[in-house]
Amino acid sequence: MAQTNMLAMILAGGRGSRLHELTNKVAKPAVAYGGKYRIIDFPLSNCANSGIDIVGVLTQYESVLLNSYVAAGGRWGLDTKDSGVFVLTPREKADSGLDVYRGTADAISQNIDFVDAYDPEYLLILSGDHIYKMNYDKMLDFHKANGADATIAVRSVPMKEASRFGIMNTDDERRIVEFEEKPAKPKSNLASMGIYIFNWKTMRKLLVEDMKNAESSHDFGNDIIPKMIDSGKKLYAYEFSGYWKDVGTIDSLWEANMDLLDSNNALNLDDTTWKIYTEDTGVIPQYIAESAKIDCAYINQGAHIGGEVSRSVIFTNVKIAPGAKVIDSVLMPGVIVEEGATVTRALVAGNTRIGKNAVVGNKKSEDILLVAKNVKGED
Amino acid sequence: MANNKAFGVINSAANYIRVEGLHDYRPIGAFSFLGRFRVIDFPISNMSNSGFDRIHVYLNSRPRSIVEHIGDGRHYNINSKRGNLQLLFTQNNGASSIYNTDINAYLENLEQIERMPQDYVVVAPSYMVYKQDYQKLLDEHISSGTDITLLYHKVDQAKEYFRACNVVNLNKQKGVESIERNMGTAKDKNISMDTYVMSKELFIELIKKAKKESSGYSLANMIALACNTLDVRGYQHKGFFAAITSLDDYYRANMELLDYATSMDFFKPDWQFYTKTTDACPTQYFHGASVKHSMVCNAGLIEGTVENSIIGRNVHIGKGAVVKNSIILSYTNIGDGVQIENAVIDKWATVKKVKRVASDSVTPAYVKRNDIL
Repeated sequence: MAQTNMLAMILAGGRGSRLHELTNKVAKPAVAYGGKYRIIDFPLSNCANSGIDIVGVLTQYESVLLNSYVAAGGRWGLDTKDSGVFVLTPREKADSGLDVYRGTADAISQNIDFVDAYDPEYLLILSGDHIYKMNYDKMLDFHKANGADATIAVRSVPMKEASRFGIMNTDDERRIVEFEEKPAKPKSNLASMGIYIFNWKTMRKLLVEDMKNAESSHDFGNDIIPKMIDSGKKLYAYEFSGYWKDVGTIDSLWEANMDLLDSNNALNLDDTTWKIYTEDTGVIPQYIAESAKIDCAYINQGAHIGGEVSRSVIFTNVKIAPGAKVIDSVLMPGVIVEEGATVTRALVAGNTRIGKNAVVGNKKSEDILLVAKNVKGED
Repeated sequence: MANNKAFGVINSAANYIRVEGLHDYRPIGAFSFLGRFRVIDFPISNMSNSGFDRIHVYLNSRPRSIVEHIGDGRHYNINSKRGNLQLLFTQNNGASSIYNTDINAYLENLEQIERMPQDYVVVAPSYMVYKQDYQKLLDEHISSGTDITLLYHKVDQAKEYFRACNVVNLNKQKGVESIERNMGTAKDKNISMDTYVMSKELFIELIKKAKKESSGYSLANMIALACNTLDVRGYQHKGFFAAITSLDDYYRANMELLDYATSMDFFKPDWQFYTKTTDACPTQYFHGASVKHSMVCNAGLIEGTVENSIIGRNVHIGKGAVVKNSIILSYTNIGDGVQIENAVIDKWATVKKVKRVASDSVTPAYVKRNDIL
């Protein structure tokens, strides 16, 4: 593979507490999405497809499942002699005790030795909880062409929502002149995507200084980026216009799944030139029974459909019994919907059972119902 | 799993076995099965699940698709350091040459066979689909003290199907008295599953002896001969069994698994069949689609009607198209309003201008690979 001389670090320590029970036992990057994927498949596949060989994944919150999941780098083709996916959890060091990662920048600072071992020219920082397809190699070209010290990926958001984001104010050449976190009166609508390319040598110095700074919150957005701008470093904004979702809530996770029902959706998962790789299971194809009725659905292999499915996303090993109805819902892996049960406007967590004739969710409800516990049936 | 007493040999189909259409492009082991598998996934998974980690896979003609599919065997759960899934090639002879026998393939690779540290061998075919714990078969073989154990299946459709297979005649003690080609003379027969357990020593002896008997002999011929002098014992297999020896057999085998109970008995979580993933995304069912009693693989775009059929990966079924009782292989495009009935459509085909492809007989219609109709 092309040697980009860029090493990627994926920040995957977040809990995603607004996803409630979905992230009780797993970190947000491990949450299921799109019939067969986990969210972290997106940055990992993007890395593999962009020709990045070494990927560090920084985990912290409920990391058991995530660690074992990403450690199998072969899923993304990142297990050759010169490539690998490395799990980096907080560890005890000779000169300090066991520290949790105190912030995004601190997570990298605590792993300077890991990065040094590969001696890359560029460091790519990614978030493990975003759904999008992006060629980081193109972003690196932009970074190099500008002779930048840092490049930050941004996307245009509606001006009236800009105050919810970290906003980059740039000059005509896209050079960043100011960074404002959730500004009350935004001057621009370019929101940071939390994707950064740094020149490693420069960043290394900044991180070492930041570690010693007792006032710092050790965060890229709050501390490192403003400091770089203030000291006259060259920072550029790289605009991304493709599909991008930060699925922070049940509603937005449901919505991102529903986006896939439109075959012209911008995420375009069936583009064979930029596949999203994930774990594979030895299951049969989708089994669609005589009694099934499917109208507008996105269904993965290993699902058994006996009932009615409309406008829904159905993951691996879901079983929908004859006489059951699933409408406007997302059923995560291993969900069982028994005979006569009806599921409407719901997001059902993996391996949940909806009992016989149970009625779950409501067509008229504004919010999407999260079902994370078995629902008892009635005869 | 380590230290197994046997190594596995996966053998290809005899030179007289010919599946119309599909066989022109690949060996039977590489045939797509139930949309997402290939036939050879079944014997390899059986061996892997049985704890065998040294497996020889014999390839003769057109090996590309199998080599690509099997790769280093990691997806079959075979340890890539301790274990080894070896692809063995034969240099000579076309697929249908009388010299293209398994014995000749073994002779060409005799050094590899002799070097195996295991005392026993399990030979299984790459053109049959069934589930069998070979460890159990091996234990049975060892405890019975017999020379050769042979797997067979009782069928009641030997007149119409299994025509290129061998029939085993058993005595009451399950001793094999003779083995002969199925001539379709009766419906109830014991079909040989071309699967044998014996000591490595006997295996090598039979290979060497065959050369002296006839250059056209296969291992099956040698075992048929051995019935007179050695203790050959039958072991009855139960459950789903298919021999892919004709287009009719291929079609029937796929269709049988559309029966939910048959399928659930065959595909169990504790005995998975592994295959190579293509990382295909899920399948899109559009408004207006109607799918019933079918198996559908990933990355499909289904706009029309599908009944009683198997739909491979990356298949598009156009608006108003109707697919019934058919097997549609991967990357196929069935155009708007086209009707397909009782057919096998090979990979990468497009049916667009011809509005109806159907067969009225038992034998399905066949559309060639890459064809535009």
